[in-house]
Amino acid sequence: MSKSEFWTLTRRLASYAVLCAVTFVVCFPLVWALSTSLKPKSEIFATPPTLIPRTVTLENYEALLTGRPQYFQSAGQQVSSGTTPAQFFTRWFVNSMIVTLGSTLISITVSTLAAYSLTRFRYWGRNVIPYFSLLGYMVPSIIFVFPLFLVMVQLDLTDSLLSLVLGYVCITLPFCMWLMWAFMRSIPIEIEEAALIDGASRVQVFTQVVLPTALPGIIAASIFSMIVSWNDYLFGRVFLNSLDNLTLTVGVMLFFEGTHVDWGLLMAASVLMTLPMAILFMALQRHLVAGFGAGAVKG
Amino acid sequence: MDVSLDRINKSFGAVQVLRDVDLMFPSRKFVTLLGPSGCGKTTLLRMIAGLEAVTSGTIRFGDRVVNDLAPRDRNIAMVFQSYALYPQMTVRRNLGYGLRVRKTPKGDIDTAVTRVARILEIDHLLDRKPAQLSGGQRQRVALGRAMVRQPDIFLMDEPLSNLDAKLRVTMRAELRRFHLDLNATTVYVTHDQLEAMTMSDLIAVMHGGIVQQFGTPAEVYGKPANLFVAGFIGSPPMNFITGTLASEGDRPAFSSPELTLPLAPGAAKGSPGRDIVLGVRPQDLTLVGEQEPASIRGRVWVVELLGSEKLVEVTIGERRRMTVQVRADTAVNVDDVVGVRVDPQRVHLFDAQSGAIFRVS
Repeated sequence: MSKSEFWTLTRRLASYAVLCAVTFVVCFPLVWALSTSLKPKSEIFATPPTLIPRTVTLENYEALLTGRPQYFQSAGQQVSSGTTPAQFFTRWFVNSMIVTLGSTLISITVSTLAAYSLTRFRYWGRNVIPYFSLLGYMVPSIIFVFPLFLVMVQLDLTDSLLSLVLGYVCITLPFCMWLMWAFMRSIPIEIEEAALIDGASRVQVFTQVVLPTALPGIIAASIFSMIVSWNDYLFGRVFLNSLDNLTLTVGVMLFFEGTHVDWGLLMAASVLMTLPMAILFMALQRHLVAGFGAGAVKG
Repeated sequence: MDVSLDRINKSFGAVQVLRDVDLMFPSRKFVTLLGPSGCGKTTLLRMIAGLEAVTSGTIRFGDRVVNDLAPRDRNIAMVFQSYALYPQMTVRRNLGYGLRVRKTPKGDIDTAVTRVARILEIDHLLDRKPAQLSGGQRQRVALGRAMVRQPDIFLMDEPLSNLDAKLRVTMRAELRRFHLDLNATTVYVTHDQLEAMTMSDLIAVMHGGIVQQFGTPAEVYGKPANLFVAGFIGSPPMNFITGTLASEGDRPAFSSPELTLPLAPGAAKGSPGRDIVLGVRPQDLTLVGEQEPASIRGRVWVVELLGSEKLVEVTIGERRRMTVQVRADTAVNVDDVVGVRVDPQRVHLFDAQSGAIFRVS
């Protein structure tokens, strides 16, 4: 082995070692959560701890999905008269879905139309609006929470899923719009003109030519919006009150408020919470890279 | 179908890009709008397409005024410089899009697409997307998309400018051939005078938003209407010498420090002393030896071999140069002293002030 070959090999080994370490750090909590969620109670605190459960059980998942009350009683104020968080899990899951899909739908619709207008029509401010909107996204969302809450009080929307949908639109729309704007700018106007000459109406040009071409951007913006809405805790915590209306992130916190923490149940809930976003990500990651890439070049 | 443009004006804000354009493109002719960039040729084409509004004037297709018709109601097809293919559609769907939005039955679309793909030799590419095609293939798809609907008028905006030189020559001949087969009026925009000369039935030479001359390629080459056309058409470009109109006996003559040339007899009475520009093409000049009678003498500055010809640049007078085109086997070297013969029958005279052709007779 020559000297240069030796160094190449060493460098490669070193970089793999670093990558393995990073992968381990990132993946370990996920793997541990999955492992714990599959263990019976007796094994969770076993010493030495086991990464691969000796006995695999689905009782935690069963409890969550069927809403069966577990044996622990809550001491928290919100959880009273024999109710346990597990009973609400499916309800919260549906709430999270509604809020996430609702806010994403609004954000994407508005930002796509806005971006189209900003890139295709001539009016004052069309070049500065996207940058101001990006600036809006850079302000931490905690600054918006209380003013928005006061607005929701005025609108009589507190403790409703709609308030959360509107709140998430407020924090995701600026970035979605900027992303779509950068993407739309890269679509040459000639393809729209070609479609007009081919015989398409304005609406057909938008739906059949512009939207399909902008699809990678739409997917990237959607994933961004869904992740923000699905993972948000702050807005849900402030805007919502009643057990029936909570979203997953806020609801799952209630597992901590009992006299003791049922780790198996909590980890099963965490795994189920992670699943939708993980699946979405894996299915669409190619588009995500393309979408953010386009934004990076043109923005 | 005839296309007539009647006193067309176009302004973008305060900038006027087209002035009083009056043109008539006869049915089934290949007409080229030729001019340098910024001359308004593409804007004019886009107005014919309906993509740009007319500020004033009338556009007619046949007898029908189309000023306010949407592009899709004009039965035109257009090939864009950038091809403008729909990136997410396969070649097959790109070709058929115009028919699909017009609700043509599926069977007819398939037939039309297959026919055009076979003509353009892209039938093996039908299931690919534009990103998977080479420049020449995209060009053909763009052409096919325009051909598939059998339009009355075929508009092309510099369709060959993104192709390499060799492919451009091939496509030039093919476009000309397709035009003959299509039976449509073709309006072609280019800044390349060679493309215009080789392909067109008629050429409109444009400059500064004004049509400088409209005629057959032979006319714009042989009888340029003004200095601009004379200088723009022809390669290598025409030689110009500034001088005055004089008289030599009873004949008018051109007079300048470098050259005195008797002109055709019985012409230009009563206007001696007027400033004029003499133009003569390099092909119309004859190079002779130092001792032979010649109109101008000078020293060879550089010799360029083009293959079958040589371009000889001759320094005359103080700092002027003239290009003479000679056969490649002519023996001529740098720094030779040579004579240049100018044939009075082959010169073009222009008014120095207006640039317009100066009719001696």
